[in-house]
Amino acid sequence: MTGTSAVLRYWIGISLLSGALATGGCSVTRLPEAPTIALAQADMAVHQAEESKAQLYAPTELRIAREKLLSAHEAMNAADSERARHLAEQAIVDAQLAQAKGGARDAQHDAEELRTSVAALRAESVRPIIP
Amino acid sequence: MQGDLIMERKQTHRLFSFATLGAIAISLTLAGCAVGPNADIQRARTSLLLAQQDSQVVTYAPAQLREAEQTLDRAERLWNDTGNRIEVAHLSYIAEQQANIAVAKAQESVAEAEARRLADEREQVRLSMRAREAEFANERAREATIRAQEATARAQEATTRAQLIERELTGLHARDTERGLVMTLPEDTWFEYNRAELRPGATHDLYPLVTYLREHPDRTLLIEGYTDNLGSESYNLDLSRFRAGAVQDFLVHNGITSNRIIAYGYGEAHPVASNDTAVGRQQNRRVEIILLLPGQSLTVR
Repeated sequence: MTGTSAVLRYWIGISLLSGALATGGCSVTRLPEAPTIALAQADMAVHQAEESKAQLYAPTELRIAREKLLSAHEAMNAADSERARHLAEQAIVDAQLAQAKGGARDAQHDAEELRTSVAALRAESVRPIIP
Repeated sequence: MQGDLIMERKQTHRLFSFATLGAIAISLTLAGCAVGPNADIQRARTSLLLAQQDSQVVTYAPAQLREAEQTLDRAERLWNDTGNRIEVAHLSYIAEQQANIAVAKAQESVAEAEARRLADEREQVRLSMRAREAEFANERAREATIRAQEATARAQEATTRAQLIERELTGLHARDTERGLVMTLPEDTWFEYNRAELRPGATHDLYPLVTYLREHPDRTLLIEGYTDNLGSESYNLDLSRFRAGAVQDFLVHNGITSNRIIAYGYGEAHPVASNDTAVGRQQNRRVEIILLLPGQSLTVR
C-alpha cells in the first residue's frame, strides 16, 4: 500500500506541474476580436468582389465567399460568435481571392486579345499594298 | 507469498507507467507545447512555399506574400502556445488564401505588363504600316508628278508645234471666224480660169495644212466652192463642186481620211463682193477651206 500511495503522490505532482505549465507558459494571450467588426468587413469585401470582374471571371470563388458570409450571419444570429468570426474572416479572404482572380483573368483575357490583334496586324503589314 | 509480492510489484509498476503516460499526455494537452506538426499548417506552408518560390509573386505581390507569412507565423505560434486546433485551422486557411491572393495579384500584374507591352507593339506595327503606306503614297505621288511633267512637256511641245503650223497656215491667209479657221483660196493663184484642176505650183501651199491635219486627227474641215454670177447657174454650181472636190482629192491623196472632209459647191450663192465689177467677181470666184474648231459638227452651211 505504501507503494501505491507513493505512485499517487507522484501522479498528483506531475498533474500540478503540468497545470502550472498550462496556465503559465502557454496561455492564450490574444482575446478574440468582436465578430461584428469581422462581419462588417466581410460584407464590404463580398460587396466589392461582386462589383468587380469576379462576377464574370471567378464565379465559383465568389459563390464560396457569399456562402461563408451567409453562414457567418447565421452563426451570429445563433449567438455562436466564434464560428461567426471565423466564417466572416474566411469570407473576407475568399472575396479578396475572387476579386484578385477575376482581375488576373480579365487582364489575361485583355492580353490575349491584344496578342491576336498584333498578330493580325503583323500579317497585314507584310502583305503587299494593292492600290 | 513471494509470488504475490512479485505480482503486486508488477502491478504497481504497471500502474506507475500508466500514470506517467497519462500525466504526460494530459500535461501535453493542457500545455500544448512542443506538440509536433499540424496538418493544416503544413498544407498552408506548402501553398506559401510555392508562392515564395515564384519570382513573379516575389516581384509583383510582396505585400500580399508578407501578409500570408505573418498569418502563418501567427498560426504556428498559436499552435505551439495553445494547441488550439480550431483556431489554428482557421488561421492556416486564411494564410493559404492570402498566398493564393498573392499569386493571383502577381498574375494580374504580369498580364497587365504583357498587355502594355503588346499595346506598344501594336502601336509600333501601326506606325510602321502607316510609314510604309506613306512611303508607297509618296512613291506614287512622285511617279504621278513625273508623269504630269512629261505630259506638260508633251503638251508644250504640241502647242509649240501647233503654233508653228498655224503660223504656217497663215500663209493660206487663215482668218479666225466663228465658223472656224477660214482659208480662202482665190481662183487666180489656185485655179485656171474656168477649170477645176489645182495649179501644180500652188499645191505646195497646202502641205502645211496636210501636216496640221495629220497632227490633229480630231480636226475636221469643210471645203466650199463659189463662183461669180456669169454663165448658167447649173454650170457655176458644177464648177464650184469640182473645185471643192479637187482640194478634197488633194488632201485625201495626202492621207487625210475623207470622212473628215465635206466638200460642197455653192455656185453663185454667198458672194463676198459685188458681181457688178471685175474685181468683185474675181473675189467671188474662190474656194474656202474652213478648219472647224474642236467640237464643231461637220455640217454644210
